[in-house]
Amino acid sequence: MDDFKLKVSASPHVRSKDNTSDIMFDVIIALVPATIFGIWQFGSHAAILVAACMISAVLFEALYQYGMKKKITVSDCSAALTGLLLALNLPPTLPVWMAVVGSAFAIIIVKQLFGGLGQNFMNPALAARCFLVLTFGRFMTNFVIDGVTAATPLARLKMGLPIDLGNMFFGNIAGTIGETSAIALLIGAAYLLIKRIIAPTIPLIYIGTFAICIVIYAITQDFEVLDYTLAHLCGGGLMLGAWFMATDYVTSPITTKGKVVFGIILGLLTFVLRIFGSTPEGVSYAIIFSNLLVPLIEKATVPKAFGQGADIKKEDKKSKKDKVDEEDSKSDDREDKNILPDYTKETKKDKESKTKSKMDLKSIVKAIAAIFVITLIMGAALGVVYNITKDPIAETKEKAKQEAYETVFPSADRVVVEELDYASINELFHQFTSDDITMDELGIAVDSSNNALGYVITVTNSAGYNGDIQMMVGIDFSGVIQGISFLTLNETVGFGMEAENEKFLNQFIGKKVELFSYTKTGSNSPSEIDAISGATITTSAVVDSVNAVLIFVILLGGGF
Amino acid sequence: MKFTFKGGIHPFEGKELTMDKEVKEYLPKGDMVYPLSQHIGAPAKAVVKKGDRVLVGQLIAEAGGFVSANIHSSVSGTVKAIEPRLTASGSKVNSIVVENDSLYESVEFKGNTKPLDEISKEEILDAIKAAGVVGMGGAGFPTHVKLSPKEPDKIDTIIVNASECEPYLTSDYRRIMDEADKVVGGLRIVLTMFPGAKGIIGIENNKPKAIKLLKEKVAEFDNITVNVLKTKYPEGAERQLIYANTGRYINSKMLPADVGCIVHNVDTVYAIYEAVREGRPLIDRLVTISGDAVKEPCNILTKMGTSYAELIEAAGGFKSTPEKIISGGPMMGKALYSVEVPAMKSTSAILCMSKDEVAEYEESPCIRCGKCVSVCPGRVMPNTLATLVENNNIDEFLKLNGMECCECGCCSYVCPAKRHLTQTIAGARKLVLANNKK
Repeated sequence: MDDFKLKVSASPHVRSKDNTSDIMFDVIIALVPATIFGIWQFGSHAAILVAACMISAVLFEALYQYGMKKKITVSDCSAALTGLLLALNLPPTLPVWMAVVGSAFAIIIVKQLFGGLGQNFMNPALAARCFLVLTFGRFMTNFVIDGVTAATPLARLKMGLPIDLGNMFFGNIAGTIGETSAIALLIGAAYLLIKRIIAPTIPLIYIGTFAICIVIYAITQDFEVLDYTLAHLCGGGLMLGAWFMATDYVTSPITTKGKVVFGIILGLLTFVLRIFGSTPEGVSYAIIFSNLLVPLIEKATVPKAFGQGADIKKEDKKSKKDKVDEEDSKSDDREDKNILPDYTKETKKDKESKTKSKMDLKSIVKAIAAIFVITLIMGAALGVVYNITKDPIAETKEKAKQEAYETVFPSADRVVVEELDYASINELFHQFTSDDITMDELGIAVDSSNNALGYVITVTNSAGYNGDIQMMVGIDFSGVIQGISFLTLNETVGFGMEAENEKFLNQFIGKKVELFSYTKTGSNSPSEIDAISGATITTSAVVDSVNAVLIFVILLGGGF
Repeated sequence: MKFTFKGGIHPFEGKELTMDKEVKEYLPKGDMVYPLSQHIGAPAKAVVKKGDRVLVGQLIAEAGGFVSANIHSSVSGTVKAIEPRLTASGSKVNSIVVENDSLYESVEFKGNTKPLDEISKEEILDAIKAAGVVGMGGAGFPTHVKLSPKEPDKIDTIIVNASECEPYLTSDYRRIMDEADKVVGGLRIVLTMFPGAKGIIGIENNKPKAIKLLKEKVAEFDNITVNVLKTKYPEGAERQLIYANTGRYINSKMLPADVGCIVHNVDTVYAIYEAVREGRPLIDRLVTISGDAVKEPCNILTKMGTSYAELIEAAGGFKSTPEKIISGGPMMGKALYSVEVPAMKSTSAILCMSKDEVAEYEESPCIRCGKCVSVCPGRVMPNTLATLVENNNIDEFLKLNGMECCECGCCSYVCPAKRHLTQTIAGARKLVLANNKK
């Protein structure tokens, strides 16, 4: 009987079976449907990206902890989960090494440098996604469907193109690996809800707030309200973000009230970013920005303790009744109470804290109000700025165009723009030129006495080093180039942007040739153009565009 | 059932181990130890000295103040010593040690057999005080003090706490099943002291047999109802119990009487009945001996002062080597380092566990899952409070209602990171209370 050693510890002496790694693993399980769908839809490269992100995230965590001589905690599954979430937020065409850079950023910079699990101030996977968008913009926005580059539904919505709602719900759309299938994500969310890993508060409030904003916006813009709203709900990263990223324990408020506030802010921010922002998508930025507000939200939403204020009310009533009586009885109470255990004694501190708790309530209301007002003002300001600048921007564009006309055809008085069926013209056109080049506008240059002098043709070449190059070329009926001006040119400063340099452009002007070509070894004939050093792609794009104009003029029967 | 507090947990109940087993009566053989401080308030003063012969039921120590309680011998024998002895609280307390002669010679008990409406309030209070009745749910607050509120007219509800929400514990349940008449009788005695008040027996819905029995017993009394509560821990915590039964809130600075309530444990009202009607002092109590390391888990009716070691032997001894022995329930009970401690008025259970769950787990960082916040019946933020304590930020701890914690243990129970939340917060509370006393 005496032969045993007892362990002693403070109560409670029982523990639930829950533990951190099970929770993390459950979230991974919940993401399986979306992951499988993404891999099925986008193919083996998507699978490689998922594997690369998860493995590298775990490795980076282990390496960091090993290097810093900390306990290695990769078995808690949190790094694997971060890796998976990051992969699901990447476009399926991203080079693997960039994904690995992203997971290093997520694990080392966002998570470990701030203290590891539970200490990161924003969602590591989303922070890494935003980092990658800023660093490798072109690769991060290269979305495909069935192996062909395509715009995401949100981008199409923003451009006013039609979308297919059914495809959006099931996921047959362009997007990141994990965000395309609303149904697969919802299955995962249901799993989390059933296992009580997440509370529905944040996602429901988030999606609800966002939906209300979108409905109001759709009504004011005269869109098909239902279609437009559903498209916004199923499109982009909203479902993935709302159910799996915004609910991230570490970076969301703990209190229910806080969760409600957090959800509302997320909804408003996502709406503002998607509708008024420069990119079609806004969920990632909305979430990481709201993550930063969490400490403030939590401070403003400290829950009222059980029975807090129950004694104040009573005293208020009493003091109204009979203050004098109170004074007397209180001094009696004191003596009585002195022998009672201490917690019944009213110390000065208690009284202070009572008045304090009243003040706290005020400051809570104030802080919440402040958050709302800030968000509202931000949204309103963006809207106002957008509306104020809408017309001036159009005016400026028009003005730039007029200036361009003058540059490309100096002898003309004005340019008469032809309303043509450009789609069918381009179809014909593409039999002779590269598919990359399309004609946007055909104008006739006329002088002050209404004599036609030549053409002013605007073409876009999508084969620039950094996207589209839109340029305007003036050419008279005899085939002499009158002038060239760029409407859109986003090439590399110091290299491709040198295309705007007069020295380069002047090589075309005043010449009448069959077709131009470019050389890197010094021009020997009028038709040879000296390439911009270090910007062969840009040079080639510009030369091709000018040639396309020449071909076009021939097709039009320009008479030379 | 319809009305309950927010939060709470559903731990493994373990009640089936002892629930339906007959109560064993056990007469101790070894030395009896009566700590002079087994209630809240001033220690009792010994009225016997070494060498005195004492009888069963004889007063051996009298209340040392208004908030204090009498202590009686539960056996006959000789006072062996008055010296500090180890108690279940872990510290040594001045105690009267009686060498048990196993004769059980008793003083004569004389109860008050007058009809209820003829007994005066003072008679009842005197009887309770004389019998040394204290709250038997665990806190050990002297019952006669509880029954003397400042404004007796304002008391409109007497609640009997029959929820017994701690896992494993079944002593209150057995008391109801075996002595329902006396339990209801005790409540009726209390109600005669507060003529305007109604009685509520609050019981969790996992005890259908007891509910049925109690409902039958109270059917004839208009002023007593049985209120079926939702089964969850801590339904029996005083503040939560009052809220669940009446919808009234009290905080840590208030007493139940502030909202017109008095709460008694089942065993306490039973003791009140015995004190008033039979003149019996509080010298025996029901103790649940349970846990997976015990051979025959059961409830034992024993004498106060019996050592835990003897009680465990009475339950068949150990089945396997115990790793942890708890005095009280697993949620709020105290872990013992020795079983050579006496059963006291507030001893509700001795749980012997062959494995210590807590030692198996390692603490890991908080992932802010918020489970502790959602289960906290005191509606504070345990994770934040614990972090504040770890950073020694007591001011902020107070500001965030740290003192409203009732140390029920729910947060530590649910924490997936296995953080010692309750323990950390409880430590800070003790510190603050100690500083307030200065």
